[in-house]
Amino acid sequence: MNFYSFTRGCFFLLGLITAGFSSAKTPLTTDGSNKRDPIFIDGGATLVYGVDENRDLIRLRQLDLDTLESKPYYESANRHHVEVAFSGDGRYISYTECTGNLTAQFVIKDLQEKKDYFVKHSGRGGTRSPAFAPDNSVVVYAFAEKGPQQLWSVDMEAKNKKQLTQCEGISNWPSFTPNGKTIIFSNTRENNYEIYSMDANGSNEKRLTENTIMDIRPVVSPNGKQIAFTSLRNGFYNVYVMNVDGANVRQVTDSEERDDYPTWHPDGRRLAIVSERKGKFDLYMVEVPSSGKITTKR
Amino acid sequence: MLDFGNFKARDCGNGVGRRSFLKTASALPFAFGAGYGGIDLEAARKLGDRAKAKSVILLWLWGGPSHLDTFDPKPDAPMEYRGPFGVIPTKTDGLQVTELLPQLAKRSHLYSVIRSMQTTNGGHPGAGTVGLTGFEENPTVHPNFGSIMSKHRGRSGALPPFFYLGQGIPRDLPRRIEGYGGGTLGKAYDPFLVSCSENGKVGIPTLDLLPGMTPNRIHNRRGLMAQLDDTSRKLDGDGVDGWNQAHHAAYGLLTDPKARDSFDLTTESQSTRDAYGQTSFGQSCLLARRLVETGVPYVQVNWSEYVETFTPNGDFGWDTHIYNFELLQDRHCPIFDRAFSALLDDMNSRGLLEDTLVIATGEFGRTPKISNRAAREHHKDCYFSVWAGAGIQPGRVIGESDKRGEHPVTEPITPLMMGTTIAELSGIGARERAEMKVLDGGKVINELL
Repeated sequence: MNFYSFTRGCFFLLGLITAGFSSAKTPLTTDGSNKRDPIFIDGGATLVYGVDENRDLIRLRQLDLDTLESKPYYESANRHHVEVAFSGDGRYISYTECTGNLTAQFVIKDLQEKKDYFVKHSGRGGTRSPAFAPDNSVVVYAFAEKGPQQLWSVDMEAKNKKQLTQCEGISNWPSFTPNGKTIIFSNTRENNYEIYSMDANGSNEKRLTENTIMDIRPVVSPNGKQIAFTSLRNGFYNVYVMNVDGANVRQVTDSEERDDYPTWHPDGRRLAIVSERKGKFDLYMVEVPSSGKITTKR
Repeated sequence: MLDFGNFKARDCGNGVGRRSFLKTASALPFAFGAGYGGIDLEAARKLGDRAKAKSVILLWLWGGPSHLDTFDPKPDAPMEYRGPFGVIPTKTDGLQVTELLPQLAKRSHLYSVIRSMQTTNGGHPGAGTVGLTGFEENPTVHPNFGSIMSKHRGRSGALPPFFYLGQGIPRDLPRRIEGYGGGTLGKAYDPFLVSCSENGKVGIPTLDLLPGMTPNRIHNRRGLMAQLDDTSRKLDGDGVDGWNQAHHAAYGLLTDPKARDSFDLTTESQSTRDAYGQTSFGQSCLLARRLVETGVPYVQVNWSEYVETFTPNGDFGWDTHIYNFELLQDRHCPIFDRAFSALLDDMNSRGLLEDTLVIATGEFGRTPKISNRAAREHHKDCYFSVWAGAGIQPGRVIGESDKRGEHPVTEPITPLMMGTTIAELSGIGARERAEMKVLDGGKVINELL
């Protein structure tokens, strides 16, 4: 057994005895710093996430899941980078970058051609939650230009901007199904965040959840059959999964501390999440239950 | 653990140059505010003994937290007002809060909420001064409520009577809050500044002035005095008087074991430190509890210079002009919910709530109508404050705002009333206030008592 295998084994054993999860889970970090926005790349070999590095910097880091060693994604970054997304083929990366006091820019980087593109909008609002279409045809994101926050799309060169939704309330967290035909997202028109689906062109909308409490950050599984999301339906931030039609809701975590930011491992059986335990924020890997506790509505 | 700053020797050569010292000396009153000159300490202590609040902790939520998204939700308001968050019940009849505060909802029997706060100024520095002094700058700056307490109680032991926990004087881009300190009472009653990191590392920023200062050295009285005197000798005349006053205050604090221990969060159990959360605000709340436990009369915990998305190099706290809902949901409310809940639990279990007044508020609220940026702007006409501890009847909702949270429909409660109530509960009655010429015209918030 080499050092890294031993390290992973220790983390796994530690995971088995850690409370607060409905499913088996494994800690991936232990430093406790405030973390956010994890997402897998390299076929699941690497996890990219944001972390409060110091008082003036939220930095993207990449965690090697074999060695559990973490290093900056952009060594020279000196601005906040949040809500990172990668295209399925790894060619593109997108994130929101702080450019000054109350100002931000939405960046699409073509890693193959080494070109940067910037999405332009009027007003001083901030972009949110980019998601790449599986065929790299568009990036969908949320932005409030003249009132209600809507979903928009641009192509890979940040051109051909289109407004996809025309709905009341605040829309956020778009996520494509693998065939690119459907977008899952949250909206607040029913007094709190609920999860909806719609065709990729913005038509044929359906409501998937029905609570008086928020259901946020929906993420479609790699096979397109399930949605992972965060909800406060049991009174605290916990992670759930449901079928892509909204049926069969299962609770993945069960803690009075916070479990949030679910993201699917490419194998479709596990999620990486950010969990607060004893006041510290770390990344964990958690198994997705195929059956189990069916959650009540609230 | 104590940290004496990040003094950079290369910036000052072999000692402290005039320019370097003058720059730092301008901050000295903030750091070494003593507040004990000319005070009848015995009389002050007697007044303190009769007070319901022997100490006060003010959680200063700088930037202006949204009242609709926290303690005064409006689920029946039109969509362009009510915001995205669901509401949850609390243990208090008539009090619902948003789903972002689940831990505080379970503890509402420990506090009361005022929903009809109103101030006169819609800008941060101006409203900050009103919020902390009760008055606008005109241009006279009235004393901070903590400075009034500082003058009234005086100093008992090595610890200063008025602490600021955070990263300096709260400020926005143009300027700081002028009402941070002594105001008309004088700089002697300014707060003593201390920082606290998310790991519980406590720093005294102005001791950056002392090159080579380490915790080990402060055990050595002779070494410390020699270092202080050496620093003093390297100054020219402009700064010596201020330096002498300051270094004696610092010396008293640094060489007193009890005073030093009050800063050492490592003596707390890990479970206690965990309960407050690994955030600078959480650990600052724990430090505040330790300070009042040691007898410090007034501690202001500033939500200050905390890492904020999209306000780099600034100090904007809860000033969520963009990403209001995301920041409250992802960062501010979870941190606040945990830290404030832990503080209430900890104070309550130790019996400290009996004689410590704990208040959480900001300088104003945020616009009920959601902006074109899907966020909220400044709103001076209506906001909240939370009160717990000494003399406060918990489990109440005081005051009421209209259906959209735009204006109080009951009598507005002002920062001057807040300061007067703090003073009254602290044993600073009308006669004492008149003698100090402070809080003139202020009324007590009787509904709290």
